[in-house]
Amino acid sequence: MKTMKLLSLFFALLGITAAILYIFFGEKVQVFQPKGIISKQILDLILFNLALMVAILLPTFIWLLFTVWKYRASHTQSEYKPEKTYGKFNQCILWLLPSCVVFIMALHTWKAAHQLDPYKRMSSPAEELVIQVVAIDWKWLFIYPQQDIACVNFVQFPEKTPIRFELTADGSPMNSFWIPSLSGQIYCMTGMVTPLHLNAEGVGTYTGKAAEINGEGYAKMNFVVISSTENEFDDWVNDVRESHTQLDHQAYAELLKPSIDHPQQFYSSVKKDLFNTIVMKANSPI
Amino acid sequence: MKKFIFGKLTLDALPHQWFTIGGTVFMFLMVLTAVIILTKYKRWSWLWHDWLTSTDPKKIGTMYVIFATFMFFRGMIDVALIWLQQALAADGEGFLEAGHFQEIFTSHGDIMVFFVTMGYFFGFMNWIIPLQIGARDLSYPFLNSLGFWLTVAGGLLINAFFIIGGHFANTGWLAIAPLSSLEFNPGVGVDYLIWSLQLSGLGSLLAGINFIATIIKKRAPGMTLMRMPLFVWTSLCGMVLIISAFPVLTAVTFMLWLDRFFEMHFFTVSHGGNQMMYFNLIWMWGHPEVYILVLPAFGMYSEIISTFSQKQISNYTSMVWASIIITGLSYLVWLHHFFTMGAGPEVNSFFGIVTMIIAIPSGVLVFNWIQTMLKGKIVFATPMCWSIGFIIIFLLGGMTGVFMASPPADFQVHNSLFLIAHFHAQIIGIALFGVFAGLTYWFPKIMGFTLDEKSGKVAFWLWFVGFYVAFTPLFILGFMGATRRLDTYRAETGWQPFFIIALFGFLIISAGIITQVYQIIVSIRDRKLNRDTTGDPWNGRTLEWATTSPPPAYNFAKIPTVEGIDAFWLIKNKQRLREYEDIELPKNTGMGVYISIFAFLAGFGIVWHIHWLIVLGIIGSVACLIRFSFDEHRDYILPAAKVALLEEAQ
Repeated sequence: MKTMKLLSLFFALLGITAAILYIFFGEKVQVFQPKGIISKQILDLILFNLALMVAILLPTFIWLLFTVWKYRASHTQSEYKPEKTYGKFNQCILWLLPSCVVFIMALHTWKAAHQLDPYKRMSSPAEELVIQVVAIDWKWLFIYPQQDIACVNFVQFPEKTPIRFELTADGSPMNSFWIPSLSGQIYCMTGMVTPLHLNAEGVGTYTGKAAEINGEGYAKMNFVVISSTENEFDDWVNDVRESHTQLDHQAYAELLKPSIDHPQQFYSSVKKDLFNTIVMKANSPI
Repeated sequence: MKKFIFGKLTLDALPHQWFTIGGTVFMFLMVLTAVIILTKYKRWSWLWHDWLTSTDPKKIGTMYVIFATFMFFRGMIDVALIWLQQALAADGEGFLEAGHFQEIFTSHGDIMVFFVTMGYFFGFMNWIIPLQIGARDLSYPFLNSLGFWLTVAGGLLINAFFIIGGHFANTGWLAIAPLSSLEFNPGVGVDYLIWSLQLSGLGSLLAGINFIATIIKKRAPGMTLMRMPLFVWTSLCGMVLIISAFPVLTAVTFMLWLDRFFEMHFFTVSHGGNQMMYFNLIWMWGHPEVYILVLPAFGMYSEIISTFSQKQISNYTSMVWASIIITGLSYLVWLHHFFTMGAGPEVNSFFGIVTMIIAIPSGVLVFNWIQTMLKGKIVFATPMCWSIGFIIIFLLGGMTGVFMASPPADFQVHNSLFLIAHFHAQIIGIALFGVFAGLTYWFPKIMGFTLDEKSGKVAFWLWFVGFYVAFTPLFILGFMGATRRLDTYRAETGWQPFFIIALFGFLIISAGIITQVYQIIVSIRDRKLNRDTTGDPWNGRTLEWATTSPPPAYNFAKIPTVEGIDAFWLIKNKQRLREYEDIELPKNTGMGVYISIFAFLAGFGIVWHIHWLIVLGIIGSVACLIRFSFDEHRDYILPAAKVALLEEAQ
C-alpha cells in the first residue's frame, strides 16, 4: 500500500514536471516562444502574474496539505480545539494579504493594458506597413494599400518593421484574428475597423487563425504568415504584381461566396477604395 | 393549408442520420421500459399522486436530482464524442462532420450549465434549505412544482431535435449573434436552443423568487440572518443573482428570436443591427450565471468542512461578507469575456482590475476553510475528500483565471483551449465536485441510508486524477495556439498527442462515473445495513440533522428555537419535547405538470412556426393558471394526534 502511494506520488510529480518543462521549452508552444516584440512583452506580463500568483498560492497550498495531514482524526496527538475562534487581527490579515497582491497586480495591469494596447502605433525607425484584412466565410483577404496588391490566406511582411493591420469582416459573423507567435488576437466585425499592431523580430513562417466560432469552415480558416527580410519582401511584391489576376468587383464577388479550405490567391492590383467600400457597405442604407 | 397545420415541419425533419435514429430509438426504449415497469408493478397512481403532483420540497428536490442525473449522462455522451473526435481529427481524420461536431459542443454546454449544474443545485436547495432554516415548506409550494416542470419542459425541448428536426444550434452554448442570426443559421437548431433556455430560464426565475421569499420569511424563531447556515447564505446570494440576471437572458434571447422570426435587426451584421450588443447583453447575464453555479457550492463546502473537521467555521462573519461581495462584484466583470473585442485600454483595465478584486474575497474563503480545519479533527469521509480536492483545483483555477483577467495576457489565451481548461477547472472543481460532495453528504438525510464509503472514495480519486490528466493537456494546447471548438487541425501542429492524453483522462473520469453508479447500486442493495437511525450520521451542526432521516412531510413536529450559529450543535444534547400541534401542509397539484405541457407545446410550435400550436399552448397554460387561482383550498391540516402517532412510530 505504501509503495503504491509513493509510486503514484512519483508519477504525479513526473507528470507535473514534464508539463512545466514542455510549456517553457517546447518548440511548438507558441505563446512561450514569442517571435515578435508584442508577443514577447505579453509573455513577460504572463510570467510576472504567474510569479506573483505562485508567491501566494504555493504557501497556501503547502499550508493546506500540512493542515490536512496534521489534524487528521487518526493523528491523535494533535491539538483539538472545537470552539476555537479567530479574532479581528486574524480577519484583517486574511483580507489584507490577497488585497496587497491584487493591488500590485492591478497597477501592473493598468500599465500593461495601456502599453500593449493593440490600437497603439509602435515607435520604430522603420516605416510602418499597413495591411488591410477582411474576414470572409471562411478565408482571409489581405490588401496592401501602399503596394496595391492583395492575397488570400497568405500574408508576408518585412521583419523589424511595425505592421498595422486594419481588420474588418464582410458577410461573416464575428471573427477573431490571431497570430500567436507574433501578437494577441482582436475581433474583426462587419462594418467596423479594428486595428492591430505588431512587429516581427526575425524571419520565419508562422500560422495565423480564426479564433472565434464562425460556422462550418471555422477550423480550416487558417493563413500562412511569413516574416522575411526587406529585400525578400520587395521581391515578393514584384512577383505578385506580375500575376495576371486583379481584385476587381467581379473577383471580389467570387471571393465572397462561402468556401472551406480556400487556396492561396494573389492579385496584382486592387480596385480603388475596395476596403472602404467593404466597411461602409454595412453602414449604408438599403 | 399544409403550411398552416405543420408550419416548417416536413418529412425531412424525421430522424434519418445515425445519431438522430440512435437517439430516438434510445429514448423510445427508455420510455418503453419505464411504462412496462410501472404497469407491471401497478405504480402509475403512485407515480402521479406521490411524485409528479407533489408540492413537498424534498420530493421535488429528489425529482430535480434524478432529472439532472439523466441530463448529466446526456451531456457526458457529448463529451465522449467531442474528445474522441479531437483525438482522431489530425488532418481531417475525425469521424464527425464540422457542423455536427459544432452542434455537439453547443448542446454539451447548454445541458451541463442549465440542466445539470443548476438542476442539482435546485435539488439540493429544495432538499435542505427548508430543513436548515427550520421551516416546514417553501413560501410558494405550487410555484416550486411549476418551476421544476418548466425546467423539465426545457430539458425535453433541448433533446427534441433528436426526434424532430435532426439539427441543434451550431453556435456555441451562448448562441452568439450574429452567427445565430437568420442569415447564417436558417435552420431550427437555434430556435430549439432559444426556447429551451426560455422555458428553463422561467423555471429558474420562479425558483429564485421562491427561495428568496422562503429564506427571508420562513426562518425558525431565533434564526437571525447572521445565524443562518452558510449554505443558506450563499444560496440566497445565488438566488439574488438569478432574479436580477435571468431577466436579461430572457430579454436577449427573446430579441434574438425577434431577429429570427420577424426579421428585426437587433444583432444582425447589417441594417443597423449591433452584434457587439449581443455579446454585452449575454455576458451581463453570463457572468453572474458563473456565480449562480459556484456560490451555492461554496456554502456547501463551508458546511462540510466544518462538520468533518468537527469544529465551528472560522470567521463566520467574514465568510458571509465575502460571499456578498462576490455577489456584488459579479455584475461588474462581464466585459472580461471579450477584452479582445477591442474596447480601449481604460475600459479593459477597469474590468480586468474588478475581476482581480474578486480574487480577494475568494482568497478569504480559502484561507478560512483552511483555518477551519486547523486544530480540528478531520474525518476523511467522502464529502470531505471532494471538498479538499475542490480547494486544490480551485487554487489552480484561480491562478489561471488571473492570467486572463489581465487584458493583454488575455489577448494571447482567449478563445484558446487554455480558456476551456480554466473554466472547466472552475465548473468541475467547484460546482460538480460540490454536487458530488453535497450528494454524499445529504443523501442519508433524504433517503434514510448512507452511501457506500469505499466506492465513493475510489470514485473521488478517479475523478481527481482524471481531471488533471484530461485538462492539463488543454492548458498546454492553449499555449500552443490551439483554439477552442476545432473539429479538425493539421498534424504538423503537434497537438494530437495532447488530445490523446486528454481522451485518456476522460476515460479515467468515465471510470469514476461508473464507480459512482456502482456506489449507488451497492448502497441501495445494502440499505438495511446502512440505515441512518439517528438522523445525524455525520455528527452534524445545522438543523437538518435535528430531524429524522428521511424527514416527515412536515420536517419538524415542533419548530426548533435557534440560539446561535450551528443551531443543532447547541441543542444537540437537550431532551426533545413531546408535545405536538396541528400542522398545515400544501396539497398536491397537477397544475405544474399541465402548464408545463402547454408551455412545451408553445415552445415546439414557435420552433417550427406552427401558429395554431403556439396559440393553443399559450391559451392552455394561462387557462390552467386562472383555473388554479380559483382553487382556494390549497392546504390541508395534519391534526396533532396524527403527528403524535407518526412521531412515536419512529
